[in-house]
Amino acid sequence: MTIKRRDFIPLAAIGVASGYASLRPKEKPELLSDGPPGKSPVAIMRAQSYSDDLAALMYAGIQECGLDVRGKRVLLKPNLVEFDSATVVNTDATVVAAAYEVFQKLGAAKVIIGEGPGHRRDTLDLATDANYRATVSRFEDNFVDLNRDDVSPVKNFAQENEFYFANTILGADLIVSLAKMKTHHWAGVTLSMKNLFGLVPGSVYGWPKNKLHYIGIAESIVALNRFFRNTFAIVDGVIGMEGNGPIQGTPKPLGALVMGRDLMAVDATCCRIMGVDPEKVEYLRMASDLGHVKPEHIDQRGEKIASVQSDFRLIPAFASLRL
Amino acid sequence: MEPTAYAILSLHGVPGAESHVSQARSLLRSWRQANGSYHPSGQVQESTWVTALGVLLDAVFQDQSALQSADWLVGLRGSESRLAARLANFFHLTDIPLDLAHPGWPWFPGNSSWIEPTCHTLMALKKAASLHRSYRLLSRIQEGEVMVLSRRCRDGGWNAGTPVALSYDLRSYPESTALALLGLQGRSFGELPQALEVAESMHRDTKSSLARAWLAIALRAYGRQPAAPMEDLPSSKDILLTALQALGHPEGNFHLLQPGGMA
Repeated sequence: MTIKRRDFIPLAAIGVASGYASLRPKEKPELLSDGPPGKSPVAIMRAQSYSDDLAALMYAGIQECGLDVRGKRVLLKPNLVEFDSATVVNTDATVVAAAYEVFQKLGAAKVIIGEGPGHRRDTLDLATDANYRATVSRFEDNFVDLNRDDVSPVKNFAQENEFYFANTILGADLIVSLAKMKTHHWAGVTLSMKNLFGLVPGSVYGWPKNKLHYIGIAESIVALNRFFRNTFAIVDGVIGMEGNGPIQGTPKPLGALVMGRDLMAVDATCCRIMGVDPEKVEYLRMASDLGHVKPEHIDQRGEKIASVQSDFRLIPAFASLRL
Repeated sequence: MEPTAYAILSLHGVPGAESHVSQARSLLRSWRQANGSYHPSGQVQESTWVTALGVLLDAVFQDQSALQSADWLVGLRGSESRLAARLANFFHLTDIPLDLAHPGWPWFPGNSSWIEPTCHTLMALKKAASLHRSYRLLSRIQEGEVMVLSRRCRDGGWNAGTPVALSYDLRSYPESTALALLGLQGRSFGELPQALEVAESMHRDTKSSLARAWLAIALRAYGRQPAAPMEDLPSSKDILLTALQALGHPEGNFHLLQPGGMA
């Protein structure tokens, strides 16, 4: 009998879409706590298609969440994964363009777009194929390949004595996770928190981010979100991906943007929209001191979950996550 | 280090480039450590997979210091070779069945092996074998080759690490396939003809300039002509891409990535 990865406590086999396992002692996931005091606002904005006025929706959602970016250096971090412009593997270019416009309008001192793809290495070609260059204003002038940026060491990341991050990230006052709403065949779902994997420089840690997979996927998601606390999330759920995501899944039209300052609450909300129980998602359980997962601690703004909810198809290995 | 290393290789032997090559080599040598390993840049104080690039370069320049660096690589192996990992795999305690008896190389010491760093290292060690052949070196090369062959995808190419995950076949990637072919040079594996056909197909279809450059290098290293017409070298600001495109040009230095000293 094969023991499934997430049930196997003494050793964890950690792999990725096209990676494979390393085995090491694994921390037992924490029991889900109530999280920090107070409630976290999360805005759900209905966007039926990418031709909607996404900037206006985003602007309204950000205002709902009470984010002030005046004078801040903002890094927009899309999910740029694969040469597959015919499908929905990447954060849509219109979402990136809208965010670029909105954060400038909101008074950010500087808006930079940065990504360090986990699988493919010619990031600018990826951006071209995903229509970023054609859609986002002055894209090349404001884009940084985080895989190949200059780096500096930091302390207190995960359990590493020293860990390297791109200087562009370390110099940002706010990181905006422009994630795609997708299923993920190792983490169950990939949303705003998992999207921070792209902050880790491939030039140091390899493709697809060797070190993170060694640390463990859920553990790394938590570590990244514990380290980078000045964050905001905008999840592209206009068309998501279901099934064998995050690369080989199929499009799932949903018609929503989900945003908020508490990435835990945003991901938990996205899970409920997708028909996934967030309290069963390993990384959300492990990070429950960082933000809110329980619905009574999330202040839902904009649309109600029920008005956009549609079950995303899950592969059999994650059927138990179904809400 | 990576862009500079491939720029050096692409400029090797080019009239007028000698002083640039010499300066670039000096820079890279400043990142070489006393144990022969290399740091990936002046900012990173850790030795990584780029040591393979250092070995390759030093071997190309017939620099005997390649052997010390090669020795560092020979001693490096993926974490999957540890007892706990092998036991777990043996008892089917993971849902990713892998042959862990033949370890490859990680991107970062202490981590698990992946196809690309393994193939960079195979190229480097095979080149180093032209300076000095030892049983230890050759047997480690053989281990790495078996690892690469065991991770081939069902579609005939390679991806970053495993052909199957959670019972789903994973598709191969053009860059990884090109590097796997380069890593497997010098031997007559039965899998190679089909893999070369896959590489030719990928070269025709890929949208990735970097992948096309690696595939051109790999195909030419095997004596094949990439079917797609060669594009003019772009005025790219991407040094790595430009260097690889130059290496894969019909008159480029792709032969420097061919092994020396292998049986």
